Amino acid sequence: MLNYIWISLIALGILVAAGSDIADEVGDRYRNGVPLDVRFEVAKRPSPLRATWEGTIVLSEGEFNTHYGPGAADSAVRQGAIISADGSGRSTVVIAVGESSPFRWKEMGRHAAEKDRLTGSVVSMKLGGDGDTASVRMVMEPVRFVKLKAVTAAALDYAATAVQISIGLIGVMALWLGIMKVAEEAGLLKIITRLLAPFTHRLFPDVPPDHPALAAMIMNIAANMLGLNNAATPMGLKAMEELNRLNPRLGTATNAMVTFLAINTGGLVLIPATAIAVRAAAGSANPGIIIGTSIIGSGCATIAGIAASRILQRLPRYRRGMEAGNG
Amino acid sequence: MAEFFRALINTLAVAAIPAMFVVFLGWGILKKVKVYEVFVEGAKEGFTTAVRIIPYLVAMLVAIGIFRASGALELLTRLLAPVTALIGMPPETLSMVLMRPLSGSGSLGVMTELMKVHGPDSLIGIMASTMYGSSETTFYVLAVYFGSVGIKETRHAVPVGLIADVAGMLAAVWVVNLLFR
Repeated sequence: MLNYIWISLIALGILVAAGSDIADEVGDRYRNGVPLDVRFEVAKRPSPLRATWEGTIVLSEGEFNTHYGPGAADSAVRQGAIISADGSGRSTVVIAVGESSPFRWKEMGRHAAEKDRLTGSVVSMKLGGDGDTASVRMVMEPVRFVKLKAVTAAALDYAATAVQISIGLIGVMALWLGIMKVAEEAGLLKIITRLLAPFTHRLFPDVPPDHPALAAMIMNIAANMLGLNNAATPMGLKAMEELNRLNPRLGTATNAMVTFLAINTGGLVLIPATAIAVRAAAGSANPGIIIGTSIIGSGCATIAGIAASRILQRLPRYRRGMEAGNG
Repeated sequence: MAEFFRALINTLAVAAIPAMFVVFLGWGILKKVKVYEVFVEGAKEGFTTAVRIIPYLVAMLVAIGIFRASGALELLTRLLAPVTALIGMPPETLSMVLMRPLSGSGSLGVMTELMKVHGPDSLIGIMASTMYGSSETTFYVLAVYFGSVGIKETRHAVPVGLIADVAGMLAAVWVVNLLFR
């Protein structure tokens, strides 16, 4: 199943990206190669030391949207720009995209070679009579294959993120595995396991009632409920390691593992701290109002997960995976 | 009552880790365990476990990254919105439902954005934050937990995780509509 989901995520992603790039190209979303006529209000003229014109590109909302299509801007455009002439007589325009830039230019800025810096070439520039305004005809650098580029960047980015996350786990993992080892040697894990046996035996019937995996799982669940993610993950991984000792077929998930994961993905939390913090930051009158609803939501998720793991593990297609290993 | 419950849990959360240090290590000393040596022995495994996760997490996150960057999520949201409107789920929150199992940071972003646009105390704001609190990043958990013990054949784990997610989201829609509509 994971195989199919994995390949569908990738295939769907690339297909949608390619499709959307083709649609942009066909719909001429970025008006690649089409000249745009703008008024340029001069603020600084070239001086002997500096061969650039600095000023503001001025366009009405209507003019901008006629060029780029409806919705490209929602107000009149006033955009700072620098026009400079290089030695060969060709002039270029550089636009630094900011908060007040029109939508379409912001979008193009996100995909520009240098982020938020649009460039184009100036076809002609005619200074007005007063010398303070000029009419400029310019052609922006073409924007193409936006989504495919984004997909490529995301793939490389996320690969690096995955390694960072894993490496970042080393410290807390070492800390908690060390503490757990002491508790194990001292016999504390056995005591916790025995205390909770009536409860855990029902949840994980395949695990022997005095197995250390049970203690690790209980501590993982308790840490998750308290929102102690840093402690919960190492304990959960310790539990997986212990569960794997009972695994007759290495590399294949056991029933107990799936039930345990169901509890973890259900995410039962007594105080959803992150959501509350975001609500408070957004100016909520009562950030904690979601505590009750979240407990109900995650409670239902957890119960449904446990029930589903019990029912699905009996299905022939999932049983086969387990029994093949015993033969 | 809710305030008291919150204060109680917060205190527990703060006290839990120091208390565990004291109890676990103290118990070890009582039982004459060489705590320092045993701690180091156990901590050694931290490195190998974390490194073992890397290939699984790379595979999972790259697929999720490609999917997110492509805009496929927005497309799915648009396709599914008319269907989910039937069960009282505002279409805005659908992106939350689809993002939640895939990416923790992504769904955090969606929640923040929805609250900025609609206000944290609007129906959409409350529903989005309840949804965020009602589930975990299923695919991340799958990759990390199974990766740590080298499980490649996950059997029914993916359908189970998705069933749990759907149940959590439906429960969130139901309870928020019941209490805040």
